[in-house]
Amino acid sequence: MGVKCSAFFQPGARNPKRRGYIKMSINVLIVDDSGVMRAMILKSLRMSGLPLGETHQAANGQEGLETLSQHWIDLVIADINMPVMNGEEMIERMKENTEMRDIPIVVISTEGSKTRLEQLQQKGAAFIHKPFTPEKIRDTIKDIMKLGGSDGNQGTN
Amino acid sequence: MGTKEQIKETLYNVAEDVLEKLAFIFSFPEDERDQMDYTTAVATRVSFAGPFSGALVMAIAAEALPELAGNMLGIDEDEETTTEQQHDALKELINVVCGNLLPAISGKQSVFNVNMPEIVPEGESIIKDDRPQPVSVAKMDIDEGQCDLLLFIDGETAIQAD
Repeated sequence: MGVKCSAFFQPGARNPKRRGYIKMSINVLIVDDSGVMRAMILKSLRMSGLPLGETHQAANGQEGLETLSQHWIDLVIADINMPVMNGEEMIERMKENTEMRDIPIVVISTEGSKTRLEQLQQKGAAFIHKPFTPEKIRDTIKDIMKLGGSDGNQGTN
Repeated sequence: MGTKEQIKETLYNVAEDVLEKLAFIFSFPEDERDQMDYTTAVATRVSFAGPFSGALVMAIAAEALPELAGNMLGIDEDEETTTEQQHDALKELINVVCGNLLPAISGKQSVFNVNMPEIVPEGESIIKDDRPQPVSVAKMDIDEGQCDLLLFIDGETAIQAD
């Protein structure tokens, strides 16, 4: 498994093995079966002002796990309802893997059931409801990655 | 669960909100007009199952698709989108409408399984034989034409009581 290191480092927020990098840039994996939605999320990330590093895309949970095993990823943004492997199963597999379990996960979905949202939150994922705004994505990522910020808009989950 | 009128109002509200936020398209309710000509429209359908089951169909003027997909992808006006991108945009749109609509009419505790949206093949009726009449229809005008949303619910009578 070839692991490529990003320059991201946030003290105390991640796996200790990843400490030592001081320049901030976030490598992001976007997992959604809709190419249009992946493009919209990517556009929102670029507009957000967050320090983006590499961006990777996958069309389902299986492809997402494969990408995670091949690249250094600091943040996963995933849909729930996808063919082949859905987002919930992908998150469960990530939590079973010592290399992946600490990677922050943001779920962006149309899911409206409170019951299902609580299940996702129990797995440690933050949630953004579609349709979303770039500001909502920025604030949620800042919150889950403990990035802080000077605009005072963080932590709006 | 509300009455048919309440469901129709919710359908209009959700459609307007999603079209504006996701595709930057403003819609205007035109409840009095005739249903659009579905034979010339592009339609997408998504079925769902949960406390009740059924399908949601969105038919949109073919001329409106380039703008819709372009807006969602964030590309310049002089760039063209492919048919695949346009269909993908339409499927994402109905997926979000459906995901917002069901808890709005059934309650946030309800759990639904929403299937993958599909484009209705050209020449195929958007109305399936086993669901002859929609419970509710939202008829809207948009910049480049018209857009109709049809909600079908199996066992329609079960949802009519307040």
